[in-house]
Amino acid sequence: MIRPTLFALAGLVAVPVFAAETQTIYIKTLQAQMRYDQSEISVPVGAKVKLVFENTDDLPHNLVFFKEGTDVVAVSNKQMEKPEEALKRNWLPDEPRIWLHTKLLNPKEKEELEFTAPDKGGSYPFVCTFPGHALTMQGRLNVQAEGTKLTGLRFALYLGSWEQLPDFKALKPHREGEIASNLVEIKLDDYKNQFGVVYEGKINAAKEGEYSFYVASDDGSRVLIDGKKVVEHDKIHPSSDIKEGKVKLKAGEHQFRLEYFQAAGNADLYAGWKGPGFGITPLSKWVHPKSAGGAGAKKPQDTTGMPLVVGTEPVIYRNFIAGAGNRGIGVGYPGGMNITWSAETMNLALVWRGAFMDAARHWINRGGGHQPPLGFDVVSPSGETALPVAVLASTQAAWPQLPAGQRSADFQWKGYRLDARRFPTFGYEWSGVKVSDGFGVEGDAIKGGGKLVRTVRMEGRLPENGYFRVAGGKQLRQVEGGFEIEKGVRVAVEGAQLVGESLLVSVRPEIKLTYTWAAAPMPAQSAK
Amino acid sequence: MKLNRILFLTLLGAGSLRAAPPTEGDYYPIVTFPTPKETALEVSSIELLPGDKLALGTRRGEVWTVSGATEADPTKVSYQLFAAGQHELMGLAWKDGSLFATNRYEVVRMKDEDGDGRSDLFQTVCDKWGVSGDYHEYCFGSRFDKAGDLWLVLCLTGSFSSKTDFRGWAVRVKPDGTMVPTCSGIRSPGGIGFGAEGEVYYTDNQGPWHGACTLQHLIPGTFQGHPGGFAWYDKAPNMGPRPVEPNDKSRMVVERERVKELVPPVAYMVHGKVGNSSSFIVCDMSGGKFGPFQKQLFIADQSHSNISRVFVEEVNGIQQGVVFPFRKGFKSGLIGGRMNEKGQIFAGGSDRGWGAKGGQPYSFERLEWNGKVPFEVQEMRARPDGFELFFTEPVDANAAGDVASYSMREFTYIYQAAYGSPEVDDVEAKITAAKVGNGGRSVRLTVAPLTKGHIHELHMAGVRSGMGLPLLHDVAYYTLNEIPRK
Repeated sequence: MIRPTLFALAGLVAVPVFAAETQTIYIKTLQAQMRYDQSEISVPVGAKVKLVFENTDDLPHNLVFFKEGTDVVAVSNKQMEKPEEALKRNWLPDEPRIWLHTKLLNPKEKEELEFTAPDKGGSYPFVCTFPGHALTMQGRLNVQAEGTKLTGLRFALYLGSWEQLPDFKALKPHREGEIASNLVEIKLDDYKNQFGVVYEGKINAAKEGEYSFYVASDDGSRVLIDGKKVVEHDKIHPSSDIKEGKVKLKAGEHQFRLEYFQAAGNADLYAGWKGPGFGITPLSKWVHPKSAGGAGAKKPQDTTGMPLVVGTEPVIYRNFIAGAGNRGIGVGYPGGMNITWSAETMNLALVWRGAFMDAARHWINRGGGHQPPLGFDVVSPSGETALPVAVLASTQAAWPQLPAGQRSADFQWKGYRLDARRFPTFGYEWSGVKVSDGFGVEGDAIKGGGKLVRTVRMEGRLPENGYFRVAGGKQLRQVEGGFEIEKGVRVAVEGAQLVGESLLVSVRPEIKLTYTWAAAPMPAQSAK
Repeated sequence: MKLNRILFLTLLGAGSLRAAPPTEGDYYPIVTFPTPKETALEVSSIELLPGDKLALGTRRGEVWTVSGATEADPTKVSYQLFAAGQHELMGLAWKDGSLFATNRYEVVRMKDEDGDGRSDLFQTVCDKWGVSGDYHEYCFGSRFDKAGDLWLVLCLTGSFSSKTDFRGWAVRVKPDGTMVPTCSGIRSPGGIGFGAEGEVYYTDNQGPWHGACTLQHLIPGTFQGHPGGFAWYDKAPNMGPRPVEPNDKSRMVVERERVKELVPPVAYMVHGKVGNSSSFIVCDMSGGKFGPFQKQLFIADQSHSNISRVFVEEVNGIQQGVVFPFRKGFKSGLIGGRMNEKGQIFAGGSDRGWGAKGGQPYSFERLEWNGKVPFEVQEMRARPDGFELFFTEPVDANAAGDVASYSMREFTYIYQAAYGSPEVDDVEAKITAAKVGNGGRSVRLTVAPLTKGHIHELHMAGVRSGMGLPLLHDVAYYTLNEIPRK
């Protein structure tokens, strides 16, 4: 499969392990994202593990491991019932199900812990117990028994240009040899393109039962046990998908054969197996980043490789942004406030705080798919498909929505203009009315007190019964000084009326809206 | 031919200073520019600005203005960020103080209104085509034609289908912003440009209905080969009725007779040999400053990181042409390119997503002529019973007049809905006569048979110049859509 070699990974790490050795796990917090850089970690049962936890964020965080089945969000939030006591404990819950934890680390601090993984296989949740963080800052430690590896592994290397696995038996190998590590690997020679390899060795089934074999390869591969095909993923493709095949084996040694070919570009090969009494065990040198998830698992979509950093000027990012149709325009403002404006609906699609956008999905490889915002408290005030303005027969009438990805012929997108500070004001025409929609910021939304100020101006003959919808949704409710959209995000606007699930104002030459956040993500006194 | 080869090797041996046959770089050096540290300069479009400046549009949606790129010393180059945050820029056109940029779903007019070198205005000029969220829906924009129109080629949704308005079409954007559907049948364009007389060409890429990459002639009202976007005839009354569907697993030469709107490729950019991923188109309008190939087309390739040369002629009312290898060795996969009046080609690109021989993730370079004339076939023209070759230098009459100095095979591709095609319908052609004429400047080849619709692959290993040099490129691929009547 041809694609660039750059590939940023996050969300999961599986470490090939040998139980006798200490393995090291690195976990860090991501800046202004309310996330750890990994959400799944796998270790063998009883493994000696060194954990390095680094807080690269600007807020305090900890890393607390619980017993299986614990509702970690509930346990963390329960502390707010007695905040004074929780503060004394540095926000570590008084809770017997905790079996391992770091200290509450201040920004840029690091801590190392050594521990022995539980003797019982299972999935152990971890979380940051600091108030308000647990919903997104969590993950799982998967503890699994390991199976045995291959023995007597040999390879035969073939040269040729194929689009699918050839009949290797009809071909003459270019080179053959042993693989001392007994781990399948593809860097056997200098060939990068147009080659194939057949691996043969023995695999020992400790007891009779059903066994699964896994492959993920770029390009095609298949596994045969005792000469019978168990799993196959032929033809040219990337290694993102793990394929699984099952076979019943008698106790004892079996013949393992793995066939593989590489056409051009990237080359990867992962093989693994699991069986009665042991979890997924890699048989290859390269361990697929989602090996612990087995078949159906894909390489994680949320790369964290290319955060777009906002400095003193707004940063604009036009690309496919999740929640903003196909014509989203992301703007990251100074002060940790961000929006995506949709040139499909001509409306504000998303508001969030914290980090702006991660461009890795679009700037690594071909750039497919929609990327969600990088920060947190992401809200969609009026929804992804709602028009900004409409003429309503009655305020009770349903607000007009566009079919996903479609536009309305009543609206023409006119582009945007940057002011002297490089802040954009978006423009569109609505049935002869010229509308501009611009945003400014005051203060800082992470440290507290940030305000996002939006000004909508309309020029031309404004229709009677014309309304601008400020927000919509079930969670919308009136609070002191304005309305809460959801997740503590508030909007204040003069003359707004909450009708059912819509917050409306009559169209007028200027509508000023102020978005604020109910609380800073950290109680000010608890930074230590 | 054996004797000539011995003669040549002897010459090499005798003149010990003349170590090796000449290379492309002996005539056409590539100058590699340093690029701004702040970005990955994945150049996807290039435009000339007043005052010897350039504008570079990138896949990351930035526009950089470049000064000093025409200077001999590449370190004299300097960059300024003009605009950022656009959704890919595969087209830039300068007019009246504004830069018209084509992003994925609109033509946007950028203008620096306060004179700080950065654009303040991003005015939508036209956004009347669709975008579905599929990564494949690239959109390439031209410069302005003589009528003041921009031409866009809109990639299909993926390889096979068109999920949203006018994907798989070429459209024109008029000065008032209206969009005119112009040609159907686009698959996956890689570049768009003008010929010497203002004809509009684009390159398409190997895939369904394209056995190989192609150079295509955009004539308003025509169908360019991939029926995936036929649904939009319903929204394009100016285009007349929807053409009949081409038959699958057929041949272009057969379907041309059935589908009257179908225009065959001007030239097949023979897969794996010329390139794998055709991209920008440059026409040499420098009046000789780029060497002896005036008004010819130069077609880049992303995956091979090279530029090929195409000579086009019109035969029986249809354009057809011959492809020669020209210059390889660019640092990354070429995507954007332009030639200036000095005959310098600026070329840039990236290898992202498809890989490229160049090996660098992105690059910005300049190709220029150093004044030395390479020994090349300047033109290859179809004749009723063969071809006529015109050379840049006089030939050795003995070598060039010997039929054994040449060989030819003919083949075509399956015209089919499946991805790509092998080379099929092989014909072994016999070269029965090679007559040197025009004071050693031309050779008339008689070929039996000529096959209409086939690519005629000519090898000229035995041809030598009067100075005893072999051809710098001794292979040519002529797409014979039509055999001249006389």
